[in-house]
Amino acid sequence: MRNLTATLLAALLAGVAVAAPVKTAHVEAELVPERTALVPGQPATIALRLKMADGWHTYWQNPGDSGLPTTLAWTLPTGVSAGAIQWPAPHALPAGPLVNHGYEGEVLLLTDIQVPPGVQPGETLKLAAKAEWLVCRETCIPEEATLDLELPVSDKSDPYPQWGKSIAATKDALPRKVPGWIADARGDGQKVVLTLTGPAGATTPTAVHFFPYQEGRIEPSGKQTLVREANGTFAMTLPVANQLTPGFTEVAGVLTSSNGFASGGSSVHAIAVVTPLVGNVVAGVKPVAAATPSLNLAPAAPVAQISLLAAIVFAFVGGLVLNLMPCVFPVLSLKALSLTKPGHGNRHHLRLEGISFAAGVIVTFLALAGILLAFRAAGEQFGWGFQLQSPGVVTALALLFFILGLNLSGVFEFTTLVPSSAGGWSAHNQYANAALSGVLAVVIASPCTAPFMGAALGFALAQPALLTLIVFAALGAGMALPFMLLTWYPGWRRMLPKPGAWMERLKQFLAFPLYATVAWLVWVLGAQVDNDAVVRLLVTLVVVAFALWAWRAYRGGAALGFSIAAFVGLVAAAFVAWPLFTSGSADREPGAPVQARSTSGGVDPWQPFTPTKVSELTASAKPVFVDFTAAWCVTCQVNKRLVLNDGEVKKAFTDRGVTLVRADWTRRDPAITQALAALGRQGVPVYVLYRPGKEPLLLPEVLQRQTVLDALATI
Amino acid sequence: MSLRSCARLLPISLALVAGSALAINAGTSAPDFSIADANGKTVKLSDYKGKFVVLEWTNPDCPFVRAQYNAEVMQAVQKEAGAKDVVWLTVNSTNKSNGEFKSGAEMNKWMKDKGAAQNAILIDATSATGRAYDAKTTPHMFVINPAGTIVYAGAIDDKRSARESDRKTANNYVRAALNEATAGKPVTVANTTPYGCSVKYD
Repeated sequence: MRNLTATLLAALLAGVAVAAPVKTAHVEAELVPERTALVPGQPATIALRLKMADGWHTYWQNPGDSGLPTTLAWTLPTGVSAGAIQWPAPHALPAGPLVNHGYEGEVLLLTDIQVPPGVQPGETLKLAAKAEWLVCRETCIPEEATLDLELPVSDKSDPYPQWGKSIAATKDALPRKVPGWIADARGDGQKVVLTLTGPAGATTPTAVHFFPYQEGRIEPSGKQTLVREANGTFAMTLPVANQLTPGFTEVAGVLTSSNGFASGGSSVHAIAVVTPLVGNVVAGVKPVAAATPSLNLAPAAPVAQISLLAAIVFAFVGGLVLNLMPCVFPVLSLKALSLTKPGHGNRHHLRLEGISFAAGVIVTFLALAGILLAFRAAGEQFGWGFQLQSPGVVTALALLFFILGLNLSGVFEFTTLVPSSAGGWSAHNQYANAALSGVLAVVIASPCTAPFMGAALGFALAQPALLTLIVFAALGAGMALPFMLLTWYPGWRRMLPKPGAWMERLKQFLAFPLYATVAWLVWVLGAQVDNDAVVRLLVTLVVVAFALWAWRAYRGGAALGFSIAAFVGLVAAAFVAWPLFTSGSADREPGAPVQARSTSGGVDPWQPFTPTKVSELTASAKPVFVDFTAAWCVTCQVNKRLVLNDGEVKKAFTDRGVTLVRADWTRRDPAITQALAALGRQGVPVYVLYRPGKEPLLLPEVLQRQTVLDALATI
Repeated sequence: MSLRSCARLLPISLALVAGSALAINAGTSAPDFSIADANGKTVKLSDYKGKFVVLEWTNPDCPFVRAQYNAEVMQAVQKEAGAKDVVWLTVNSTNKSNGEFKSGAEMNKWMKDKGAAQNAILIDATSATGRAYDAKTTPHMFVINPAGTIVYAGAIDDKRSARESDRKTANNYVRAALNEATAGKPVTVANTTPYGCSVKYD
């Protein structure tokens, strides 16, 4: 309080009359001076101070995708003139898929006032201005205020107590050319490459953003990238505006960086760039409608809406079919056969067991959907199949299937592993046991839902949350139904041959689909990581098999040494497998090349997908075919082998001059996830054919040779 | 059951689904859409093939839109378009989750009060059509020719303000584009940067 009084007193003594700030609904506005007096013949800096309410913003000179810049119309005494607003560096303010440029909190917009030499010390000059601004949060409100400021004329002036320092600091931080930093701009189709050369040894500026002074130049929401090149130069790629307006001959704007641009021992937050544009630019393509658009792909027209009923029916049928999948069938058929054992005679108990199983299945599916929805709500780029994008999960599943397989092969019995008390618990809680079987069934089904049902479930995920959950519940219901029926109508048991040796042989035989699943998961891991990871996993499997064998031997009466061997084996397995769980979860580096996965020798005609490649190719009027695929997606692999690698199809691609691009989603890749989202899809496979001058064509998930040939004929 | 037939059972859609054009500005083809109008009737852009179509992105809560309607300029241009047999579709892409979302009934009432003369008011509650057109602001205008090609994309006029008084003196780009295009002339100013409130995508 004392400070404020002192300030006001000092100002009054100095003869400055700052009017009380004008308060509008969301902004407090006033004109404030840098110094206490106007000096004849010298410029004076006056600031329009805008203080926005929390969450509200006003705009920079180029407002970005929407909004309006703040304006000032001065009314000044004769001879006094005002310059243009000197804008502090703006911030990028995202609004859904759009990006605006402006200020939150408080901003000082500076104007230099020219005081003529002829004014007499002792006079008081009244500087008045009508300020207009658009203030927005969700809603936008145009506001205005007529502001004035009286300042004495004097031969000397002092910093104005309350605002002098902040205005001087704002002035100091205004974007300006910084010695040592040189920029060159080259137009290259839909992008502008800005080459920055910094002083020797300059650290790489981080979180760099370019704000063009003019609209219709650089797309406000487009992704900007900065790459460090040799000897202190940095190449910044800027996407050309979708709504490019004529006359783009100069790249002019402000560059900001979170760690600043090195300049003579210190660093500055914002630099001004004005440089001629050489080369040619064309209007950029529409950025994807995602929060952080980095990929220029058109979203497909609203994907054909399937009705809720149809979605439920598809999911239900899908769930039924899951029972036949190689990962699920062995386990569930044995579970069914276990019903023939004594102790399952009571009809009532049997039915309750079926219900418990179904509940376990459905709840687990709902939980999976819930987790996925939560991740997506948190902004994670996940699609269905995400569970197979992590080498750790693939490893865990391979181990699980291998152990289940060994169990069926008779290497060990679960009962010999588990302490008898727990086994007893399980027997007495057959409903809990059945529910847990349901959970296990979903877990073991997960490698099969991704490959076969990725697209369908991905579609469900793109729907409102409630619909997503209903579809997943229907999937669970479909999966649980066959077992439920077996418990409901136990008559089928009479049709089976008497339990005997055939059951044991069947059980042993059913281990093989499980081993096949392991083989496939090993292949997925190889595609995801590398050959070393495959060897690591195989060694782990061998050691686990050894440990289980040793343990069984020990339980069967062998010497204590066998239990030690089992323990050592287990530790060794954990040790060998550990790197697969820890290192593998990282996403692929953005832009890192996808491993060539060409099976045949020679040059792979498929180019790896990068966010800009497709838009560049389509912009140059070339037909492009994009294959969104993943190693773990069986439908994708079937399509690839039977259709895309078909001689006639390959020939048609060559004849039509189609550039082939493969977007490999085997590992998490946010750029590909976004591209899929832009097409209205959440999973693979997706096939898109871009035709020059025509709309892109989305091909069905299950490719037919003829479909592809027909599509190519439309180019 | 082979992998192939197994896989065939599952996917949701075997139909070819057409995507949209790449850049949404003058010279490119206008993406088709199918959305319910304020009365619940489905409207497709392709229904109007062979006619000039104006797409107007709107939001009654936006001061830039209100300035147009309060100055009665938007209605005037709509009526002029109607007289030239041009179809005028007003699209509200405010997402259903946004506080500024308006139901069909609310949109009907607001437009009726203003004396608007569009052929239909489209309720793009999922914002999908707004995204397909990369609609950025309200207003954001598109003029589509009878062949389905966009001939004008951008701002409603050249006075970038929300002031009612500026509207009558502004050069209305849509009026100019319609005058030229319907007379068989090329559109002089075919692309401008739209201005206004952001489309409320979320």
